Amino acid sequence: MPIQDLTFAIVGSGGDGVVVLGDFMAQAAAREGLHCMKVEAYGPQIRGGESSCTVRISAVPIFAQGDRVDVMIAFNWADFGRFKSEIVASANAVVLYEADDETPREEVEPHLGTSEGSRWIPVPFTRLAKESAGTALAKNIVTLGICSELFGLPREGLLQAVTKKFSTKKAGVLEANVRGFETGEVWAKEYSARVADKHLEFSRGEPMLLMSGNELSAVAALHAGCRFFAGYPITPSSEVLQFLSEWMPRVGGHLVQTEDELAAIGAVIGASFAGVKAMTATSGPGLALMTEMLGLAAMAEVPAVIIDVQRGGPSTGLPTKSEQADLWQALFGSHGDAPRVVLAPADVEDCFHTTVAAFNIAEETQLPVIVLSDQFIAQRKESLSMLTLDHEVIGRQVPTAGELADYKRYRDTKTGISAMTWPGMKGGEYQTNGLEHDEAGRPSSMHLVHEKMNAKRYRKLRQVRDKYSFFRTYGPENADLGIVCWGSAKGPVKEAVLRANGRGEKVSAFVPQMLYPFPNHDFRHYLRGVRDVIIFELSYSAQFYKYLRTFEELPDGHTFLFKRSGGKNLTVGEVEDKIQKVLEIGALRREVLV
Amino acid sequence: MSATVGNVKFKPGDYKSTLNPVWCPGCGDFGVLNALYRAMSQLEIEPWNTVILSGIGCSSRLPGYVNTYGFNGVHGRALTLATGVKVARPELTVIAVGGDGDGLAIGGNHLIHTARRNLDVTYILMDNEIYGLTKGQVAPTTPTGDKTKSTFWGNPEPAVDPCELAISTGATWVGRGFSGDVKLTTQLIADAISHNGFSFLNVMSPCVTWRGDDQFKALKEILAYVPEDHDRSDRREAMKYTREKGVLTTGVLYEVKGPSFNDRLEEMKQQAMAGRSEPTTREILATFFPKF
Repeated sequence: MPIQDLTFAIVGSGGDGVVVLGDFMAQAAAREGLHCMKVEAYGPQIRGGESSCTVRISAVPIFAQGDRVDVMIAFNWADFGRFKSEIVASANAVVLYEADDETPREEVEPHLGTSEGSRWIPVPFTRLAKESAGTALAKNIVTLGICSELFGLPREGLLQAVTKKFSTKKAGVLEANVRGFETGEVWAKEYSARVADKHLEFSRGEPMLLMSGNELSAVAALHAGCRFFAGYPITPSSEVLQFLSEWMPRVGGHLVQTEDELAAIGAVIGASFAGVKAMTATSGPGLALMTEMLGLAAMAEVPAVIIDVQRGGPSTGLPTKSEQADLWQALFGSHGDAPRVVLAPADVEDCFHTTVAAFNIAEETQLPVIVLSDQFIAQRKESLSMLTLDHEVIGRQVPTAGELADYKRYRDTKTGISAMTWPGMKGGEYQTNGLEHDEAGRPSSMHLVHEKMNAKRYRKLRQVRDKYSFFRTYGPENADLGIVCWGSAKGPVKEAVLRANGRGEKVSAFVPQMLYPFPNHDFRHYLRGVRDVIIFELSYSAQFYKYLRTFEELPDGHTFLFKRSGGKNLTVGEVEDKIQKVLEIGALRREVLV
Repeated sequence: MSATVGNVKFKPGDYKSTLNPVWCPGCGDFGVLNALYRAMSQLEIEPWNTVILSGIGCSSRLPGYVNTYGFNGVHGRALTLATGVKVARPELTVIAVGGDGDGLAIGGNHLIHTARRNLDVTYILMDNEIYGLTKGQVAPTTPTGDKTKSTFWGNPEPAVDPCELAISTGATWVGRGFSGDVKLTTQLIADAISHNGFSFLNVMSPCVTWRGDDQFKALKEILAYVPEDHDRSDRREAMKYTREKGVLTTGVLYEVKGPSFNDRLEEMKQQAMAGRSEPTTREILATFFPKF
């Protein structure tokens, strides 16, 4: 029976072409209008070394990386060793492995998780490549042919991808690779019947975009009117800097790669002070360096957007892996009382909306706004429909003539927001300060001025909470079990919740996309409708759970926690296991009560 | 955005803000502030088209005393703020100011890289060879052996010459002034602001409170003016007037002409836009469709 949703994992060494193989699969799928999600993982080597790529392709919408792989492609079992706790196959998976690799199946199988229903097919990848294309380098192209034949991947798209890649190479290269592809197809024919249950069934749709969260954040910044970017390279956020280095000048803006993160946030504040929407992007260690000037932006009331793509920490930590443990740093990292807004995209598409919203909020309230993304969202590639990618843009607020007469930069108003001029505006000149200051911006160290101005600056958050209350809910309004999570944990949680609902289980989820100020009222309302609660997060010290408890009593005896370190993305299986356990506890408890 | 008023001349006093300086009586920074007012008046600089930025320290209070747009930021980061302002708004006159601790210790890295980029801003470093605001600790320009509040047994470190540092890291205009000579300092500031590229002015600005009257006298004794026949475009020649024992050479030490960071960015932007109109979000997104 054909299938609508297939997950591939590919493992190999540098030179095996793992990344190109995954990329071609994803691009060919997106071109056919299929849904897909591609995640790459590497060893610590700068070049070469082991790498893996998982590609999930589906005819129906998907929300998570497939945690059980349907098709495992191993060019080399030694390379699988590094990923063995991260790549788990379904029990009846198809395993295509290098025929020359003599590693016994018994050594691999316990780690891979396959059982009797699985089909292990030795493939002479290297021999087929050499015979057809004259080089072992073509083994990924041979594999494309095999996958096209066995699993129904779109043949025409894959061949066009091959043509595009090799048509500029010297004579004969393209022909050799096409031969490689066709050789793979022919070789695979005899296995087609054995793996017919893994044949993808789909009908062609409109082509989709294929983008990472970082790329989408960068495009969103341009959409929002950002015309200044300063940044310092840091994994896993550098794609934002790289993309904008090409596109910022094209839209007439400016970009500076600064000497460090201190200079990056300084330049962003300077540009914004000068009237130009500005942004930086970094990861946890960089945000730590920016924290002093985050306080400056809060104090001087300069709009600024900071994207923090979280990685494993502390210190250098796990630079290429995801974690959700910059939360407290983003929420509270500060000397003194420094108001800021923290938004959290929960998937790739969200990177667009939260980034534009971050600019809107920053401009309206003259606050620093942190977009707390993470490696899993930022670096995976997803297929997207262009139609969903639009968002209202709020421009720099221009002072009125009335506001400019007797102008006071920090006039204490009902909303806490005061008119902001910028250089070039005659009559709007002011001197701003990291020192505490009065309404005119004059330095003051008087207690009463400090109290009043703190109140003014914090008052601005009210408007943010009232106007923007970003959160999502999934599942029925009243549920036996409610899940609360944020950021990239949403994907597996949503998928698990929808599956549970499909089984008739009353499970729901609440996912805030605005973490500060928190949508308290909506959260309280949500809690009233659920009996038990599970908090899911990838933070060893349970930062999110503890944060929720600072403003909300979670139901005593009915609150459960799933937390662990990052380094491996949350899986649907982990969420489902916990859901089942808590549903059972709930059922037991009701038995006692009856 | 700005209404430029034709033929309006500004007197030095027109640049004064309503704030009174917090500096100690006799502080060298008063001389620098007066020189700045005069230089701005000479150049007929419009306050609303000018931004003065600083870090933290006694001298970093200066932006508050000038009625242009001003930004008293955090310690050591004046040049980072200035980078954002000048890159985003190249048409503005941008001046960064600060002290020796702010610019050479905590902010030293930014000085190096801002000079290297040749960002078109003027940086006035008021040098009193001490941390004044924190009350008398050793600074990167404090002479070796000096006893300060944090060098009980004497300063074990050699001092840095800010001008030597600026020349060697790529500043295209480097000068040294003395706050006791307002006429000279006025001319140097005016010259520095007029220069296209990174202009670095080290003004010796004595601290009467933590270095005493002796510093002023000692500085006066060793001051010399750069010879008239000095070839300021010659880097090696310029280096001769740095770090000379017993002599402190004032004047323009180094000046070369060439494209500033802003010129290069502008050129790149023209190349990137190539006469086309700004691409729309849709057009940018469309580049992410599978490319075959």
